[in-house]
Amino acid sequence: MRQLPPALEIRNLAKAFGEPAVDDLSLTINAGEFYALLGPNGAGKTTTLRMVAGLLVPDAGAVSIAGIDAQANPIEAKRVLAWVPDEPMIYDKLTPLEYLEFVAGLWSMDTDHARFKADELLEKFGLGAHADERCQGFSKGMRQKVALAGALIHEPKLIILDEPLTGLDAGSARQVKSVLRGLVEKGVTVIMTTHILEVAERMADRIGVIAKGRLVAQGTLEELRNSSGDGGTSLEDIFLSIVKDAGEETTAAMDEMEIEGAAA
Amino acid sequence: MSQVASLTWFARHELNLAWRDWIGLMSGGRKLRDRAVLIGMGIFALALHGVAYAVLSPFFKAGGTIDLAALVMLTGMLVLTFTMMLSQAMESVTRAFYSRDDLDLILSSPASSRDLFAVRIAMMALTTAGMSGLMVAPFINVAALMGGPQWLAGYGVVLAISLCATGGAVLIALALFRTVGAKRTRLVAQIAAAVVGASFLIGIQVVAIVSYGSMSRWSVINSDTVINNVPGMDSLLWLPAAAVSGHLGALIIVLAAAAGFFVLAARTGAIQFQRIVVSALSVATGNVQQKRGNKTFRATSTHRALMQKEWVLLGRDPWLISQTLMQVLYLIPPALMLWVNFGEDAHLSAILAPVVVMAIGQLAGGLAWLTISGEDAPDLVATAPVAPWAVMAAKVQAVLIVVLAIVAPLVLGIAALSMWGAAVTFVGALVAALSAIVIQLWFRAQSKRTNFRRRQVASKASTFCEAFASISCAGTASLAAAGNLIAVVPGLLLVIVMVVAWLLSPPRS
Repeated sequence: MRQLPPALEIRNLAKAFGEPAVDDLSLTINAGEFYALLGPNGAGKTTTLRMVAGLLVPDAGAVSIAGIDAQANPIEAKRVLAWVPDEPMIYDKLTPLEYLEFVAGLWSMDTDHARFKADELLEKFGLGAHADERCQGFSKGMRQKVALAGALIHEPKLIILDEPLTGLDAGSARQVKSVLRGLVEKGVTVIMTTHILEVAERMADRIGVIAKGRLVAQGTLEELRNSSGDGGTSLEDIFLSIVKDAGEETTAAMDEMEIEGAAA
Repeated sequence: MSQVASLTWFARHELNLAWRDWIGLMSGGRKLRDRAVLIGMGIFALALHGVAYAVLSPFFKAGGTIDLAALVMLTGMLVLTFTMMLSQAMESVTRAFYSRDDLDLILSSPASSRDLFAVRIAMMALTTAGMSGLMVAPFINVAALMGGPQWLAGYGVVLAISLCATGGAVLIALALFRTVGAKRTRLVAQIAAAVVGASFLIGIQVVAIVSYGSMSRWSVINSDTVINNVPGMDSLLWLPAAAVSGHLGALIIVLAAAAGFFVLAARTGAIQFQRIVVSALSVATGNVQQKRGNKTFRATSTHRALMQKEWVLLGRDPWLISQTLMQVLYLIPPALMLWVNFGEDAHLSAILAPVVVMAIGQLAGGLAWLTISGEDAPDLVATAPVAPWAVMAAKVQAVLIVVLAIVAPLVLGIAALSMWGAAVTFVGALVAALSAIVIQLWFRAQSKRTNFRRRQVASKASTFCEAFASISCAGTASLAAAGNLIAVVPGLLLVIVMVVAWLLSPPRS
C-alpha cells in the first residue's frame, strides 16, 4: 500500500516581529490525525498556523502540506487546506448560502456538488433556516458556524482551526466537535489550537505544546504524562509542568484556561 | 456617588472619548502622541490666523463699521457655520442611536438612561462647538486683535450655534424615526447630514457663478441685490451678527434663546432615548431576509466569483454608494463656472469632458478603496487557491466595469454633440479611473468597509495624489476636447503625480 505523505510537515520554521515569535520549530502531523496545539498566550501558536496557511511569510524554514511545498507551490497547497481564524471573518451583507457560493467559486468547485455540500453543511450546523438571511444580524456562534461551513465546503484534506469553540454555546460546541471528529474518521487532518484543555484531552490523537515559539513537548496524552514525570494525571497538570519547565510566564494564561475549562 | 457627581463623571468620560476619537481622526489611526497632534494643530491654527488676517484686515482698515453690509456678511458666515455644525451633529446623533458601543452597558446599568443621554447630547454640543470653533477661532482672534476685545463675543455665538445645531439634529433624528422608521433613519440621516453640510456652500456658489460669474460665494452676499432687499438694521434677523460684533444685549438674547431651544430638544430626545435606541438596535442586529429566486449555485470561475461578490456588496450598501456619489456634488460649482466663463466660446463637450473625467476619477477612487482595501474577509481570500495578482485583477476589473457602466451613457450623450469630445471624455475618464485605482493599489491597507469615511484621513498622501491625478486628467481632457495642444502639459503633470505617488507609497514585500 502506498504511504500517504504527512498532512503537514514543518521544518525549522522561524518568524520574528522584533523578538522571535516562532523559533526553529519543526513538526510533523500525519494524515487523518487530530492534532491539538497548546500553549500560553503569545507562545507562537497562531503565528505558526498563519505561516502554514500562507498568511504570513516565514523568515526561515519550510512548510509542506500533503507533500506539496507550500512556498514553492502555494496555490496547490491552498487547494487542500482550510483555515478558520478565531474571529470569524464573513461578509455581513451576504447570506450564508451566498457566502458558501462565493467560497465554492474561489475553490472552483463543481456547482451542483457545491450546492449539495452547502445544503448539507447548513443543515449540519443548524443554519438551514437562516440560509437566506444576511449574516449582519448573526450571533458570534452563528458567524463561527458559517465560517466553519465555508472551510468545509471545498472538502479540504487539512483543516486548521484557531480557537474554534470560543463563543459557541454548549450545543453548538458539541455539534462542531462531532463534525470535526467525523472528518478525522474520514481521513481529514484537523489541527486545532485551544485554551480548553478538556477538549484537547478528549479529542486529540496527539498534542503539541508550544512555549516561547518552540515546540517543547509532543505526543499522545499518555506519552506526555510519562514524559512530564511529576505524576500529574490531567492534561492541565501536565501542561503546567511542561510550560513551567520551558520557563513561560503562565499564571495569567492558566487562570484563563481554568475559567474557560470550567465554563466548557 | 451622588447623582450630580455621577453625571459629572459621565460628562468627563464622554469628553475623554470624544478627545481620543478626534486624536484618532487627526492622526489617521497612527500611533502619534497627543503632543505631536497638538503641535500639528498649532501650526495649522497659525496658518489659519494668517488667512483670517488676509480676509479681515481690509474690513478693519476701512474702519470696521458695522453697517448693513457687514451684518449681511456676518450672518452669511454664521449660516455657513450652522450648516457645518448641523451636519456634524446629525452624524453624531445618528451614531449615538445606532452604534452599539456602550449602549448595552448604559441600558443595563442602574443609572437613569434619560439623564445619561441628556449629558451625552450636551457633550455632543460641546464637541461640535469645539471642532467648528477651531476653524472659526482664528477669525474671532484676529477680529478681537484688530477691532477690539468685544469681538471675543464671537465665541459665545459659536456656542449658541452649536446648541441650536445639536438640538436641531436631535429633533430631526426624532422626526425621521417617526416618519421613515428605525430601519431607514440611519441611511436617510447620514445622507441628509452630507447634503446639509454641502448644500449651503454649493448652493451659494452656484448662485454666485450663475449671477456674477465668480466662484466666490461672497460675491452674492456682498451684492447690491442682496443689500437692497434685506430687512433694515433694526431687524431681529441681525441679532446673531450683532452679538458677534460684541453687542452684549444681543449676545445674551442669542445665548438664552439657543440654550432654551437646546434644553427643549435635548429633553425631548432624552425622554425618548431608551425607546428609540431599543428600536434602532433591533434594526442594527435584526435579520434581513434575502430573496433568492435561483436555488442552484451559479456556475462560476474564481475570477467571476470575486467580481460578483464585490458587486453584491456594493449594491447592498446604499450608504457607501451615497458617500461616494456625494463627492460628485462638489463638481457642480466648477462645472457651472466653466459653463459661465467659456460656454459661449467653447464647444459644450470641452466643458462637459473635464467634469465627467473628474467625477469618474473620484468615484473610481472610492470604489477601488472599497474593493481593494475594504475586504472584510481577508483571511478567506488570502487562503484561497488563487494567486494574489489574480485576486487584485478581479477586484480592479469589478471597479472598471462599474465605472464603464456609469461612463457609457454620459459618453453617448456627449457623442450626440461631438464625436471627438466623446472620445476624449471616454479616454480621459478611463485614464482617471485607472490612475485612482493604481494609487489605491499602491497605498492599500487592510481595513473594514465601515471605515470608508476615514480612508482620506488614514492616508493623506493617497488622497492628495488621487485628487491631483483626477485634476490633471480633467485638465488634459478639457484642453484636448477643445483641440488645444497645451493638453500635453496637464498630461505630463499626471505622469509626475503618478511618479510622486509611487515614491510616496509604502514599500511592499
